[in-house]
Amino acid sequence: MVAKIEIALKPELFDAEGASLKAQAQDYFGIAVDSVRLINIISLDAEFTATQLEEIRTRIFTNPVIHISGLDALPIEFDWAVWVGFRPGVRDTAASTAREAIEDLLKITFKEGEACYTSKLFCIRGKGLDEGKVNLIVRESLANDLIQQWKIFEKGEHDARKNIGLTVPKVNLSHTPTVKAFSIDSDEELMRISDARNLALNPRDVPTIREYFLREEVRNERREVGLDLPTDIELEYIAQARSDHCNHNTFKGLFRYKDLSTGKETVVDNLFKTCIEEPTLDIQKKKPWVVSVLWDNAGVGRFDDLHYYTITGETHNSPSNMEAYGGSITGIVGVYRDPLGTGLGSKLILGMYGYCVAPRDYQGELKPRLHPRRLLDGVITGVKDGGNKSGVPTPFGHLFFHESYLGKCLVFVTALGIMPSSIQGKPSEVKTTTPGELIIMTGGRVGKDGIHGVTAASEGFSEHTPAGHVQIGDPYTQKKMHDFLLEARDEGLIAFITDNGGGGLSSSIGESARFSNGCEVYLDKVPLKYAGLDQWEIWISESQERMTVAVTPEHEKRFMELSRKHDVESTVIGKYTNTGKIHILYNGKTCAYINTELLKSDFPQWEFDAEWMPPESRGLCEPVITEPEDHASLLKDILSRPNLASKEWVIRQYDHEVQGGSVIKPLVGKERDVTSDAVVVRPLLGSYRGLAATQALNPTYSQIDTYHMIGCTIDEAVRRLIAVGAKLDDIGGVDNFCWPTIQYHPVSNPDGKLKAAQLVRANWALKDYCRSFNIPLLSGKDSMYIDGNLKGRYGENRKISGLPTIQFTATAVIDDIRKCVTMDVKIPGDVVYILGVTRDELGGSEYYDRFGCIGLNAPHVNTEDVIPLYRALSAAIQEQLVASAHGIYRGGLGVHLALVAMAGCLGLTIDLSAVPVEEYLSNDRLLYSETQGRFLVTIAPENKEKFEAVLKGGRFAAIGEVTEEPRLKINGVKGKRTPIDVDIAELKHAWKKTFGALR
Amino acid sequence: MKKVKALVLTGYGLNCDYETDYALKIAGAESHRIHINELIKGETIGHQEFLKGYHLLVFDGGFSWGDDHGAGVLLASRFKFNLGAQIEEFIAEGKLIVGICNGFQALVNLGLLPGFDGSYKSREVALTFNDSGNFRDDWVYLKTLHSPCVFAKGIKTIELPIRHGEGKFFAPQEVIEKLFADHHVVFQYATPEGKKARGKFPYNPNGSLRDIAGICDTTGHVLGLMPHPEGYNHFTNHPDWTRKKEDLKRQGLPLPEEGLGIKIFRNGVRYLEKKLL
Repeated sequence: MVAKIEIALKPELFDAEGASLKAQAQDYFGIAVDSVRLINIISLDAEFTATQLEEIRTRIFTNPVIHISGLDALPIEFDWAVWVGFRPGVRDTAASTAREAIEDLLKITFKEGEACYTSKLFCIRGKGLDEGKVNLIVRESLANDLIQQWKIFEKGEHDARKNIGLTVPKVNLSHTPTVKAFSIDSDEELMRISDARNLALNPRDVPTIREYFLREEVRNERREVGLDLPTDIELEYIAQARSDHCNHNTFKGLFRYKDLSTGKETVVDNLFKTCIEEPTLDIQKKKPWVVSVLWDNAGVGRFDDLHYYTITGETHNSPSNMEAYGGSITGIVGVYRDPLGTGLGSKLILGMYGYCVAPRDYQGELKPRLHPRRLLDGVITGVKDGGNKSGVPTPFGHLFFHESYLGKCLVFVTALGIMPSSIQGKPSEVKTTTPGELIIMTGGRVGKDGIHGVTAASEGFSEHTPAGHVQIGDPYTQKKMHDFLLEARDEGLIAFITDNGGGGLSSSIGESARFSNGCEVYLDKVPLKYAGLDQWEIWISESQERMTVAVTPEHEKRFMELSRKHDVESTVIGKYTNTGKIHILYNGKTCAYINTELLKSDFPQWEFDAEWMPPESRGLCEPVITEPEDHASLLKDILSRPNLASKEWVIRQYDHEVQGGSVIKPLVGKERDVTSDAVVVRPLLGSYRGLAATQALNPTYSQIDTYHMIGCTIDEAVRRLIAVGAKLDDIGGVDNFCWPTIQYHPVSNPDGKLKAAQLVRANWALKDYCRSFNIPLLSGKDSMYIDGNLKGRYGENRKISGLPTIQFTATAVIDDIRKCVTMDVKIPGDVVYILGVTRDELGGSEYYDRFGCIGLNAPHVNTEDVIPLYRALSAAIQEQLVASAHGIYRGGLGVHLALVAMAGCLGLTIDLSAVPVEEYLSNDRLLYSETQGRFLVTIAPENKEKFEAVLKGGRFAAIGEVTEEPRLKINGVKGKRTPIDVDIAELKHAWKKTFGALR
Repeated sequence: MKKVKALVLTGYGLNCDYETDYALKIAGAESHRIHINELIKGETIGHQEFLKGYHLLVFDGGFSWGDDHGAGVLLASRFKFNLGAQIEEFIAEGKLIVGICNGFQALVNLGLLPGFDGSYKSREVALTFNDSGNFRDDWVYLKTLHSPCVFAKGIKTIELPIRHGEGKFFAPQEVIEKLFADHHVVFQYATPEGKKARGKFPYNPNGSLRDIAGICDTTGHVLGLMPHPEGYNHFTNHPDWTRKKEDLKRQGLPLPEEGLGIKIFRNGVRYLEKKLL
């Protein structure tokens, strides 16, 4: 029998969750609601006596100070009530903690099949509401049919209301796990199997796979273990391992690149090897601090004599696009397993985020699955819950709006960790598996989660089929596992560790078994969320919060003891061997038997045609715009544009100070409200060493040339770190590519060749700029296919491709955090300097975008010019000559002068005619050009001589002074008339008003 | 020299254990991070004597059990169902307890705060959802009221970080009155000038009634507060430190080292050194 507990806040208390729904109904849909009160429901599908239920209700779930509760429907009135619960199989963390607490209170254990479930009932009052309006609120704001189910009641439907919470979304598969085998008489037959099972095999791989299974010696070996034809689990495994996601086939592909303007053709064999791997390995030779790159879950750099830091970045675009909250929380929690699974395991110390979405106020006629506003709310909240509950500070991130992300949003998540350089005398960055070691799965259980990802979304639902393809990350379970694994690591119990992400066990075991050259896996030992999973499902399920650990048999007992102490489930599910075989059994019977060699063998390379058309040949040119007359209004309008406006509302939702080592925060300045260039943390309390981290992203330049987009993005990331006090030689990078589909197709992807050429050019730039800045790529990922087909006004589908985008993450060790500086101007009378030359480079700028133009002159970065300047600025910061330093990024000089003044709550008097240029530039060009390589620096007047001596030889100039009077006064070049004289508070108001109402 | 022994809880989603442990060490204590289950089992040095070996118990911040059933609720029930009597004994021996953020939420759910008239059994006050409906990370200004709290000694005002979604202090009117009348209120949210915040956002970041940020029990030995003193363990934690650095530099003065949040811990440690060592 199912019982329930209903809990609500007392009527006199402010119901914050209800109030935010009310506000959303008004702001998003213009629907007036009088009040919303929320009832939390805990459904108990277990046998309890009336006394026990009463105990559970009063002793755990009711706070007498603020709650009313009951075992029946609470007498809360409504005109409309909306019940929202999970679909079967969706992760319900609150339900599992409720169960834990009940077991602890009653000192009982739930029986097999017994469980708790949580759901919510919104009691809505409002005279003008009708079913249509309520439905709209539910569908567009409260619930997502991928993971949730809901019911709507009108006032008076007493029986229905009463029974809410008494039916539960229990998974009941009633399926006997079976292994199927397939005949593969021809390539076509194997392709048919691939299509039917959504394996997404590349046709080029098919002959290699068939050849393997038909080889005589292979067949003989297979017969010995009772197998013949390939099984479903084997084909699924191979398909996973060969997927672009796991294998990076695109970046390892062959590109026939042709410049259509010159006719010159170049063959590029393997972008990964030539543009990422080779430069990084060369740079590693020059930089002893680069400890381990390009093979593990994250890159490893030296932090100090006794510690390493680890870093990686991921994207979680497709899942977030379907279910924004679930996608992004799974993304951040998932990326946190990468440092945890790097070397012998590192402690998480920092997370970062990046969101690219269509405009929040999009009112066009295309219909994305989730409106950009709702999608953005969801991804922000997902990273908030995932990051904050992981106990990891999330101090840096960015949010970028562009209509091209309507097809698919981008969600970047980045993680940094720290680990001792040696564990029990062994180097921590080295790990291997050895025959005889146990394979232990630790953390969460396995369900139908993430199997075949998106394809499953189109299948129908039934009442008790798990909606597993969309997941909800569970930071609580993972935090327990994180704490446990670090303790096990420190005791030297871990021989090898890696996470279960894409591909699940198939990937974590498949890859770790390459070291020992084989494994035996007993799938029936794998703990499941519910019975009835097929063998292949257990093997490739992407259920979250799991790690795979190799433990020697003598450490098993202690490992399990620690696991119990931390209340984490760990299970021995197999052992590593040196048989050369991935041998998978279920109840003693072999269901897969594959040579470890197979997946290392040479599958055919993917091939792409790439055709580059220089921007001029695509019709791009500079727009014709004369110098504006009302400069003050223009500056205010530019500051209020969504891509530049204050994002404080996002930043403050994220705990950016947990772990106690915050040095440079995301928001700085007198009123602590202006965005910092980078953040700095002190991961080892008690040490003066710090780690600076930042990110840059500039996709609008891709519209002109992805080569320069990459140049600008890397340069921006470098300057962001230099500005807070890092040194160029210490900088490491992480590249995260997000690209539209590049495989040409005359109908479905007619501009595929251009997109492929853009990818080649981006990689060339990555190689060139990393080599000239000497930046090793510590880690990186590529995420292709950022396209979407959206329904239009007339029922047509339109393809929208996202701008070719890279997020470049940069990090550097800071020797002494006390030397760090922030961007806010600090003391009246200080001299304002600009470092670097300003050129006519407004192509792709915010300024041109204001007028709906792209332009042609994208900023070019010349590293020979800028590197000496960066070194000089670092030296000046090290000598403590600098009071404030700030890079000039998107928006240009005008915007960034405003920002440093707004941060300091002081004024500036600036003379534009002093700005170093190569040729005459009008005031608007000086103010809004996005030339890279520039900084704004303020110094005390008495340091002028010293500062200029340090910078000698570079292009820089004193352009003004910090003033007590909080006004931004800019004198223009033409006849010294004043184009801008405006109050700082007025500028700040403009900058904050865009998103100022959000919290 | 004998040192005050402090126990900082870990496990089940708590996440401020490292920095709280660090802050206590700077403050002069011998501090240990102990897993909640280890404390319950007392497995390290044998059963019920475990907690007895410590002088200071810290319920540090985090998201215990994910906080899905009200912040600190399940941490409190875990303690109540397994360690209830031991905790009261601990207080009776004159030892100290601090609950920070999630720990404060647990202490009020356990009934250890406000502990009216020396009774530690009933829930009188609550910490519930911020009025903004959202989690918030910011620094706040606090003013200290006259109270018996040993941790607040010598502190008139202090700036500390807050990081919570459920920090709104709530209690019925008569309870609020009693809290003030009996000097249970230790910290109130204030303006930068040190005046009462009077509910004004962002100075009062969560809508707490009467700007209450922290309270103590009748003895002054049990303190709970939403702001994080361990988050201000070093000068460079302060949001304005680069501005202060510039001022000091120009006056030829050196930078301070310690963060002012340490004072709160040191007060506790000093008190225990005098009283119990």
